[in-house]
Amino acid sequence: MLRDITLGQYYPKDSVIHRLDPRVKITAVLVYIVMLFLVRDFTGYGVSLLAVIAVTAASGVPFRFILRGMRPIAVIILLTFILNLFLYPGTILLSLGPLHITEQGLHQALFMVCRLVLLIFGTALLTYTTKPMKLTDGMESLMSPLSRFGFPSHEIAIIMSIALRFIPMLVQEADKIMKAQQARGADFESGNIVRRVKSLMPLFIPLFVGAFRIAQDLAMAMEARCYRGGSGRTRLHTMKLEKRDGAAILLLSAYAAVILAERVLSGMFF
Amino acid sequence: MPIVAENISYVYNKGQPDETYALRHVSFSAEDGEFIGIIGHTGSGKSTLIQHLNGLLKPDSGKILIDGEDITSGNVSLRRIRQKVGLVFQYPEYQLFEETVEKDVAFGPKNLGISPEEAVMRVKDALRLTGLDYDEIAERSPFELSGGQKRRVAIAGVLAMQPKILILDEPAAGLDPGSHDRILAMIQEIRRERKSTVILVSHNMDDAAEMCDRIFAMKDGEILLSGTPEEIFSAADILRDAGLGLPAAADLIRRMRDMGADIDADGILLPEQAADAVAGWLKGKERRGKKC
Repeated sequence: MLRDITLGQYYPKDSVIHRLDPRVKITAVLVYIVMLFLVRDFTGYGVSLLAVIAVTAASGVPFRFILRGMRPIAVIILLTFILNLFLYPGTILLSLGPLHITEQGLHQALFMVCRLVLLIFGTALLTYTTKPMKLTDGMESLMSPLSRFGFPSHEIAIIMSIALRFIPMLVQEADKIMKAQQARGADFESGNIVRRVKSLMPLFIPLFVGAFRIAQDLAMAMEARCYRGGSGRTRLHTMKLEKRDGAAILLLSAYAAVILAERVLSGMFF
Repeated sequence: MPIVAENISYVYNKGQPDETYALRHVSFSAEDGEFIGIIGHTGSGKSTLIQHLNGLLKPDSGKILIDGEDITSGNVSLRRIRQKVGLVFQYPEYQLFEETVEKDVAFGPKNLGISPEEAVMRVKDALRLTGLDYDEIAERSPFELSGGQKRRVAIAGVLAMQPKILILDEPAAGLDPGSHDRILAMIQEIRRERKSTVILVSHNMDDAAEMCDRIFAMKDGEILLSGTPEEIFSAADILRDAGLGLPAAADLIRRMRDMGADIDADGILLPEQAADAVAGWLKGKERRGKKC
């Protein structure tokens, strides 16, 4: 059951999007996020949706796979929709007892849901198409100008890559412990919330103990291979911008221009 | 309590790009009180197979009958199945979680809804079977024990459920030779006392040869060979193909024979048998030497 979480996983494939320089992809996602917050009305979301669909198609990651990855977040999306729907003041469309649905509320609710779905969709694409190691390499490289001011960019990057490396390991470990406790008759699925939280103790305690054990082993293994932090470290794969990266930057700029234009224009009309 | 597996298949990551068959049409059966060994290379499907036997995994196709009851059907009581079939995972000490050994071992019986008094009895009995001293260890934290002791406590946690079928996945992995032998002796003792069916998953050919009535050799999710240890280890070439070897004693004797020693290597699996054969051969040589 823990294996079903596909969000944040890497989807192996050899596509243009997969081959793009991670720095370009990270920048693109950052720009995309900023743009989503600048969008004023649904036209902007329409453009953004078309953009992510185009990127997804180019990446070869099946839509089915992405939709499945979004399932765990459906609750948050639904909650956002409901809260916005009922709690926004304005012209009343429909009343259900003490609750009112307003025209503005409906608009706002749909607006927020679009934003959330597009946010998750776009950022998920980054992790689906980029290996964790490349992702952290890209981040380190993007942050490196800051290290001149004493910003620990290498350390942050290594912490992130270790954290990412730990996720599948911990998921596996949790799966194993869960099965072992189920074999001893543990029941993780029934009972009220208090019971369920209590029933998780046999899972969490060994999991934490295990995490410390793994971390200690890893620290020792790094030490044994003379890890001394970032200064003077060279890489096996150096990142180089290719033609396709240039093309990607152009497309990204075009997208940003459209969104900004939409914002300016909608600002003029309303 | 016979175990019957009919044609079971299991697929990991179904529908994803890395879909893999972990089990392909596996069928076998085990009689009451039998000691079964499952050997196989890493990734051959051993662990997946045993997880099917107490309902932790459900096969994508095929049936598993425990005592005539189909445990793959939807309306079976998993709790009862898990009480019948005790499964000790690899490195079981990593599942210890309670403050005291007593509480940890009692976790299984408690989940089965057994009364506290009865649970204490079972904990005592289980700890005794694993060779631990209840009075000395019951109130200690499981985390402060030695590696071998932790493993025993974890195994006791499964024994306390008093399963009729005991499945152990590499119970001696990662232990020093002394603890290794004690764990195996303990398994023999448990079997003798409880008359339980035992399934032992092992990488260690010596252990399998010494302890098991019957052995299944697995490769790529299929049972490649099954039979008595003598039968299994006479097929050295097939085993090598599956990434498996022979028990050390059998290997030694075969090598001696291949180098020209006049020894009948067939059926020799254990160190004692090998020693007898070599001693016999040496004596024979001496006699022949005197004749000349």
